[in-house]
Amino acid sequence: MIPSAIIDLLQTGVSVIVGTRDAAFMPECTRAWGIRLGKDRRSVTIFLTEAVSGKTLQNLRENGLVAVSCTRPTDHVACQIKGRVRTIRPSDRQDQTHRRNWKREFIGEIAAIGVPAALGEAWITEPALAVEIDVTDVFHQTPGPGTGEKVSS
Amino acid sequence: MKPGALTIEDLWPCLQGMIPAALSTCSKDGVPNVTYVSQIYYVDGGHVALSHQFFNKTHRNVREHPYACAMMLDPRTLQAYRLQLRFDHSETAGPLFESMSLQLQAIASHSGMTNVFRLLAADVYAVMGLERIEGFTSLPTPPLSELPSRLFVAEDLERLRLISERLNCCDTLGELLETALQLLDERLGFRHTIILLTDESNATLTAIASRGYPENGAGSEIGFGDGLIGMVARSQRALHLSAIDHSLRYARAVRDRAQASGNTAAVCREIPLPGLSGTSCQVGVPLVTRGRLIGVLVVESLEPLAFMPREDSLLTIIAAQLATGIEQLSRDMDDAAPAAPVRSEPVPSSGASPRTRHFCFFHADDCVFVDGEYLIRNVPGRILWRLLTQHRDQGRTEFTNRELRMDPWLGLPEVKDNLESRLILLRKRLEQKCPDIRLIPRGRGRFALETEGAITLSEKAG
Repeated sequence: MIPSAIIDLLQTGVSVIVGTRDAAFMPECTRAWGIRLGKDRRSVTIFLTEAVSGKTLQNLRENGLVAVSCTRPTDHVACQIKGRVRTIRPSDRQDQTHRRNWKREFIGEIAAIGVPAALGEAWITEPALAVEIDVTDVFHQTPGPGTGEKVSS
Repeated sequence: MKPGALTIEDLWPCLQGMIPAALSTCSKDGVPNVTYVSQIYYVDGGHVALSHQFFNKTHRNVREHPYACAMMLDPRTLQAYRLQLRFDHSETAGPLFESMSLQLQAIASHSGMTNVFRLLAADVYAVMGLERIEGFTSLPTPPLSELPSRLFVAEDLERLRLISERLNCCDTLGELLETALQLLDERLGFRHTIILLTDESNATLTAIASRGYPENGAGSEIGFGDGLIGMVARSQRALHLSAIDHSLRYARAVRDRAQASGNTAAVCREIPLPGLSGTSCQVGVPLVTRGRLIGVLVVESLEPLAFMPREDSLLTIIAAQLATGIEQLSRDMDDAAPAAPVRSEPVPSSGASPRTRHFCFFHADDCVFVDGEYLIRNVPGRILWRLLTQHRDQGRTEFTNRELRMDPWLGLPEVKDNLESRLILLRKRLEQKCPDIRLIPRGRGRFALETEGAITLSEKAG
């Protein structure tokens, strides 16, 4: 079960980065275009484009292991979710609506720290694949002491 | 690296810490980890550094399994770049660490987090791969030619910075002169160099330090207006002679012949200026501070095209700092403030068995000979004579700059007496002509006369 403090964080315009590794344990990282909490509160869905995240998607298909870091740019509140891929599928209309809302909120966040909104608007977030992840652990990742500790439920 | 391939230098906008970078690693048992890093620091064309402030998962992972992948954004366009990295080593001291640490401390002090934000180490990673991520943004990437790269300092500027810092640390005139010539050689490749200082009273320049010649030439004199060096002194402008005229070598050869043939009347009381016999290229730069000529810096090379405008510019910049330093340290040392005696480094014995040295002083031109050979003259000659006679008559071995300045017989001017440079000159002539007699610094404004064998003294009118 994802802790409630984290649920609140995930419903804001967080920056989402994704870490995976291949069969030789070579790390790969990429950026996801949004994150959505699963109805069961045990899973999340992230959105990746094949162009930007080809190697990540390949790793996820091969071994399913994933780390997702979500940070709110305005206050650096952050968590890291670890888990395993449940499904990878083309995103549907509902996903698309969610992603648009996330993008609007995220651009609002980065605009608040001085990044022109037009730069965020230019990101190519379509067509995206929806990657559903079973969450195994959640860690605090806000910079400072206590970072890296598991978030209690 | 393929021609035209992206280099780490091309990513300078991403390396300013304006947008945090993503970094993923993997534990030895295959669990991926991803985090933000506030800044990726440029180290050199093949390396970057990350700050290690907390003992976190990234820190543990790369020590178990040294690979990492970073994603950086260009703050101008939010275009993404991916770097494949391999952890190389960790630094806890040195310029990279100091500069990263200082930056972190400054941020920490602004936010009242001085005790929390502390750099534990600079983790250096080798850059194994670098790619621009296509399909990330619809904005065009500014062409590389339009990127004014102020992040990556030209190598010469970096060298000048180092030289400037080192010269600024010198405490004594002697140290300043030696350090300057050493850095010119080791950092900028000027292998043959001479520094001459001005004696305004008789419009001459006296060589006080040199590097890259068999003889140090300390004490050799050149009149204002004589040759390249004299011309530089008179005009107070840098002068550059490439492919030096045959006649200059001819003149030098004539002097060499005169010395070799024993026709020494003209040259016996002159110390030859160090010089390369086949020199092709010379640059003389005036050492001027606040409009006053302090001396001249000379560099020489056997290569006809060794000195170009770049070299002239570098030398001019260094000469300006050197002139100020020489003026300041000459003045400071002349203060001769009372100070606790400081033990100098033990001086190695000359190795020769103790011998009797005979010194003779010629009153006509204040000239000192040792064992029949010219040693030194003028003010340094009188200083030496004063030290030797006081040593003989009173058994003294310790002296101060202050008492020399007060001694009317030495005839030092009341202001700008250049006593320290005269002592350096005397020290060097002794090193060269009779190394068993030494002047050893004993802290600020003090020195000792050390002798290994017996000394006899005589005086002549002329």
